[in-house]
Amino acid sequence: MNAARKIGLNLEWLSDCGGCHVAIVDVHEKILDILGAVQIQHCPVLTDIKDYPHADIGIVSGAIRTEHDRHVAQEMRASCDKVIAWGTCAIYGGIPGAALAHSREEILQAVYTRNPTTRTNEAPHSQVALLEKQVIPLDEVIGVDMYLPGCPPHAAFIFDALLALVEGRAPKARQETVCARCTRSMKKSEETRLKSNHDGIPDPDLCLLSQGYVCLGSVTLDRCLSPCPSQGVMCTGCAGPTMQILTEPNRDLRTEVADRMSRLTAIPREEIVASMERSGKSHYAYAMASKMVGEKPTFLIRKWIAEVEEEA
Amino acid sequence: MTDANPTGPPVIAGQVSESAPPAAESRTKTAGPMVVEVTNAASRGSAKEPLAGRRTVTIDPVTRIEGHARVFLDLADDGSLISAGLVVNELRGFERILVGMEADRMPLITARICGVCPSAHHLAASKAIEAAAGVTPPPAAKLLRELLYMGHYIHSHSLSLFVLQGPDLILGLDADPAIRNVVGVVEAAPEVAKKALRLRTLGQKINEMVGGRGVHPVTSLAGGIAFRLDEEKKRILTDWVEEALALGPELIGVARDKLLQQVEAHPELLRDWVVPAWNMGTVNDGKASLYDGTLRVMDEVGTVRDEFQAADYDRHLVESVLDWSYMKPVHYRETGSGEERLYRVGALARINCVDSMGTPVADQLLAGFRRDFGRPAHQVVLHAYARIIELIYAVERAREILADPRIDGETRAEVRFTGGRGVAHVEAPRGTLIHDYRIDERGIITSANLIVATQQNYACINQSITQAAMSHVIGRADDGLLNAIEFAIRCYDPCLSCATHALGQMPLEVLVRQAGQPVRSVRREV
Repeated sequence: MNAARKIGLNLEWLSDCGGCHVAIVDVHEKILDILGAVQIQHCPVLTDIKDYPHADIGIVSGAIRTEHDRHVAQEMRASCDKVIAWGTCAIYGGIPGAALAHSREEILQAVYTRNPTTRTNEAPHSQVALLEKQVIPLDEVIGVDMYLPGCPPHAAFIFDALLALVEGRAPKARQETVCARCTRSMKKSEETRLKSNHDGIPDPDLCLLSQGYVCLGSVTLDRCLSPCPSQGVMCTGCAGPTMQILTEPNRDLRTEVADRMSRLTAIPREEIVASMERSGKSHYAYAMASKMVGEKPTFLIRKWIAEVEEEA
Repeated sequence: MTDANPTGPPVIAGQVSESAPPAAESRTKTAGPMVVEVTNAASRGSAKEPLAGRRTVTIDPVTRIEGHARVFLDLADDGSLISAGLVVNELRGFERILVGMEADRMPLITARICGVCPSAHHLAASKAIEAAAGVTPPPAAKLLRELLYMGHYIHSHSLSLFVLQGPDLILGLDADPAIRNVVGVVEAAPEVAKKALRLRTLGQKINEMVGGRGVHPVTSLAGGIAFRLDEEKKRILTDWVEEALALGPELIGVARDKLLQQVEAHPELLRDWVVPAWNMGTVNDGKASLYDGTLRVMDEVGTVRDEFQAADYDRHLVESVLDWSYMKPVHYRETGSGEERLYRVGALARINCVDSMGTPVADQLLAGFRRDFGRPAHQVVLHAYARIIELIYAVERAREILADPRIDGETRAEVRFTGGRGVAHVEAPRGTLIHDYRIDERGIITSANLIVATQQNYACINQSITQAAMSHVIGRADDGLLNAIEFAIRCYDPCLSCATHALGQMPLEVLVRQAGQPVRSVRREV
């Protein structure tokens, strides 16, 4: 080959939805530039290369849910010089990680043995990989060199990350929150009521917190360019928490949001905290499987979920 | 140790160890052909069961499908095929995960079941929670949702036709696996590839502008759509749709010609790969309808046997468990006799079920399809043809929606959850998708059940694997033709992410067993 050596790329997806791979295609026309600079090798969704050739870079999306996922993760680590944890599931467990509060048996019951439209009465038990006890983020199983959160990360971040790899520089890892690109203005209001997503029609210019909507934009890393609050939908934290929340034991989604929201509205801080605990499974869905969130001393997600389910 | 006997039963060619990794020399550092290994286990066989030999065929993983899986082939002592199946090896358990969450989050959370068809889950969930709340969204919201969805269809069917199946169609079933991918397509047919990628891009951009995001849209919520369409956006969307309409005919011609060329080169595809199944798809006054409508069931000779609403799905559709796979197949249960029927969903099933598409170009294509292949068609390779027809339908329908004056109206209705159950469906690109929730008076999910497209095709997929193994693998040693098994699976465009809501991934591996015992599972590794 006379041209400059292409960068070898292996890609894999573990327990996730595949959206992080579709998002790569969503760099649209620029995909052709990238294809010109890299050699895509193992990538089950695109190529027919079944083994794991040596690669400069490995992109792994998805968390570890089964023993098979663990094995594949190890294959990627062994074959790739650098491994990138790609997307929220790989980094924090993502939505599959919201199974944290449930045992493997409970999951198998819900899907197979106590499922309303399933007439058989057994769970699969031969030829399938056993479930791990919990959903495990990638870096608890293999070493990870870089992280790109997002559910999925917006194409702008993906393109920069891939370009950085091609150019041999560090990607621009901005630390802004979703608020940074949100066009709404934070104003003090007299709002007294906490609202759900479907509750009324939000004012298009005013911060959702000011209007009583529990938007997680201020505690969520921007890897999305803020589409949700811009369209009138609360941020649900899909790119995972900010570094501050991850690294400081006394900071947490509910305390940070409650502090901010109680200053912006007439809703008492304690009421907001209590409401977010009751809805803990929704608010912490994306990152609860991560030790950085799950092992905070005040994070009692199993208790909160159990209480909500008992009341049902 | 790559060795094969092309005609008879496997030859005695070496030794096997149950635990030993497969022969290292049969693998290469770079992409090599898939390996057919013939190994002899006679020295290990029990005295009661003299073995003529054992054969291990490995495709691991099945590639260019959405998720991870492997295939097993069960051989008798004489090397003949007993059974074959697709093992889906991932389980996430959304039925459990969703319980305890807020109902109004379902459109956002369930999109994460599948990054390949998130818009389908986004909309099915929106409709189901509205059904539980007894709310009908305003007409503008329904139109915007359908527009979002047409964008999604354009993206998804283009991806399936040109990126996942494209390499088989454009480069050939037996092309070198090292180049049998989208990069190879770009090199072999750069102009077509560019236009195909552009068409996919246009679909995804429409999906993104209406849905707020491409993968995992966010704007559909209980009661409608979160925003109102302004003139600027409408103008941009109209431009994109017109561009897609201009690209459509050429790309559709290429895709159809390539498909027919492959069929000509491999006549057994039309002749042997036939699964006479019932069909299920959505109709509205007999016409194609992807966002909403009545479920129609047609038997294998073309008689409409049933029409029902999604809310009654649990009276008609029944799941069962295979002990060797996380994916549950679904059968249609006949009213009265209670007999369970094999059925298919997805583009081919829909094309079979509808009386007409309802848009001009798509109806012309449908007429040609029916002239050539009849109604209903059962050849699995025709799934791709059906996708071509739906692709142009989606573009034409998007234009109709943008021209509908009702799109400018109110987009939100008020919603209150007072406790209740909601069931709703959409036609996902790969087939009927049903969401079923029970919601308490606090607005919390107390139970969730999901029937996704690929699991309804599962029984048909397993039949197709058997047919492909018979026509292209058993008794032959041509490595390239192992791709035929994968091609057969790809015809269904299976989505294992969806399938592993209760399933997740789908590269594939083939395990051969003999006399009921796994001979060996060979993973090709570096």
